[in-house]
Amino acid sequence: MAEVSDMPLFDDFGRCVPGAARSPAHPRSRRYFTLLQPKIDYVASHARLLSCLGAGTTLDAAAFEARAASILSRLESDPRTAAIAHGVAVPFILPRLTIDDMGQSLDHRFLPAVREAFEGTYPDYRFANHHRGGLEGRTGIQPESRHARLVAAMSRSELVGIYFPALSEYSLPAALEQVTALPEQFLLAGGVDTCAALISAPGLLLRTDSYPPLLWLGALSSEQPAMGYHFEAYGFNLTFNRRPHLGLAAEYWSCGLTVLEDG
Amino acid sequence: MTIPEAEPSGLTASEAAKRNDLATRKPYIAEKLRNIAAMEERGEISPIIRLEKSYLCNFQCTHCSAEYYMDRHIEKVFKIKDERRKIDLEDIRRLSREADELGLARFVITGGEPLVMKDFDEVVAAIDPDRHYIITDTNGWFLDLERARHLKSIGVEKVQLSLDSMIEAEHDTFRNKPGSYKRVMRAIDASLEAGLNLILSTVLVRGRGRTEEFRSMCEFAKRKGIGLYVSYAKPTGSCTEHPEFVITKEDADIVRELEKDYPVFTHMTPSYGSYKGCITVKGIITVTSTAEVTPCPYIDFSLGNLRETPLKEVLARGMRNPWLGPHRPDCLIGEDPKFIRIHTEKTKGVTHLPLPWGQGFSDNDSLLDD
Ligand code: SF4
Repeated sequence: MAEVSDMPLFDDFGRCVPGAARSPAHPRSRRYFTLLQPKIDYVASHARLLSCLGAGTTLDAAAFEARAASILSRLESDPRTAAIAHGVAVPFILPRLTIDDMGQSLDHRFLPAVREAFEGTYPDYRFANHHRGGLEGRTGIQPESRHARLVAAMSRSELVGIYFPALSEYSLPAALEQVTALPEQFLLAGGVDTCAALISAPGLLLRTDSYPPLLWLGALSSEQPAMGYHFEAYGFNLTFNRRPHLGLAAEYWSCGLTVLEDG
Repeated sequence: MTIPEAEPSGLTASEAAKRNDLATRKPYIAEKLRNIAAMEERGEISPIIRLEKSYLCNFQCTHCSAEYYMDRHIEKVFKIKDERRKIDLEDIRRLSREADELGLARFVITGGEPLVMKDFDEVVAAIDPDRHYIITDTNGWFLDLERARHLKSIGVEKVQLSLDSMIEAEHDTFRNKPGSYKRVMRAIDASLEAGLNLILSTVLVRGRGRTEEFRSMCEFAKRKGIGLYVSYAKPTGSCTEHPEFVITKEDADIVRELEKDYPVFTHMTPSYGSYKGCITVKGIITVTSTAEVTPCPYIDFSLGNLRETPLKEVLARGMRNPWLGPHRPDCLIGEDPKFIRIHTEKTKGVTHLPLPWGQGFSDNDSLLDD
């Protein structure tokens, strides 16, 4: 798929401009449901990723910080992608892992790790997985999402990446269409990377003054084409669930982009 | 007047028993209710239909969202009569059929005060209690044991009873009706005795979530084993003159935390694991006395008139509207300042609510200013 011209791909707030999406996506955002950039304490973040997820065994916090910084500076050095850094960016580490069944990995490793990170950081609040029946055997990877590259890379080594919730107000089909037109380094975020971002910054969706967006795991497919998986705040609590996405765009919905170190 | 029924999370033993009982007595309805989850999986919606056949009411509540629709208001303030054609029983029968064809299963009779309607029983029959799960709102004034048994006998399944404070004098003042608190207490016992499902509903005004009184209402509901449905005060209807009632996110978050310990819920509370957020169109529509369909009882913009537009298209208009849209977590009319401003400006001085399709909501709506 051809890449979109040499125009900036992101707006002043780091939102990906929906130039290539044919499915519903709001052309612009009034920025009503927004995230704030969490303060990244690399030492604490690394320690949480290590203890909750077992990620970060081959690098220390300083290396994590340096490798995340190199991703950001690579993006900032290209005028087309520089503005993504104006938006929220959450660095993360993924463990080296061969994933045969994405649902099983999420159920048994990644979602419990999100719980541990969230409730460990905010003991008064809860993480609730409302998805009944488990994900095992029920979710796969959307072929156009480029997410399979991330899963393949995970099987070879630990990965450092950055999660950008930059596809706000896109329908899920539009997010897939858009990502295929972005430079190759952009992958649509799915389950493991979004979980790792929430372990790195457990308060990403915790806002007391206004409502944060819902975060779709846009790269994952579900057994029902109309359904998708997502993280969402409920008050001060964090939830995981699935719901119909209807192929529509909502002001409240966001998908994420992931950029890995080796691009 | 309340927005109905969202089940508190978790299917309790008594809830399961109620469902089994319904399946025995009304298998067609039980089947439709069971199908709602499958409809959601397919990306279809199944809103509850609130039916405002009449706005007659024996109360004059401080926070009433229907006051501006009432003849008494239109005549007193605008010195005119509402000459628009009102829905009749045949309209209701047609609506019942259209809803049934779309798989919709739930009607709430509201108003006004439904139990003052002379044709209440005919309205229940026109909705068809063997095809739809029927709920009625009430302020409880007329709900003694005899009436409760009668409601049950004609096919009403559930009663939503308004209680605005556990402090008797406060409730009576809010409702502008001395003695109304005692009548609510009587109605609670009568409904339970008659075997009606019961839900208490209460209006949350700013700051109330933190009060001892609100906590004691939660305790009361828990003790009685009744769900406590909380609706936020909105800047519409009588509340237009009380902007200080409108809640903040902090109030909403306090209720979300109380949900962990009490059978308290809003219609945005996750229901059996399904998160709905604001339920405009997805979870609720209101049919006014002039057959207009509004997405929420507090939003005075119509999505169409059922005499001119099929229900199916009215619902589709709502789902593609960016304000109502597929999903939002907050209360559009209670929390979104921009929408509140647009709504206040457009409805100001309007004699006949709701604003018809095209004048309030339209297919050209945008979230942005240009
Ligand atoms: S706008 Fe939405 S959340 Fe608010 S009262 Fe109406 S349906 Fe409920």
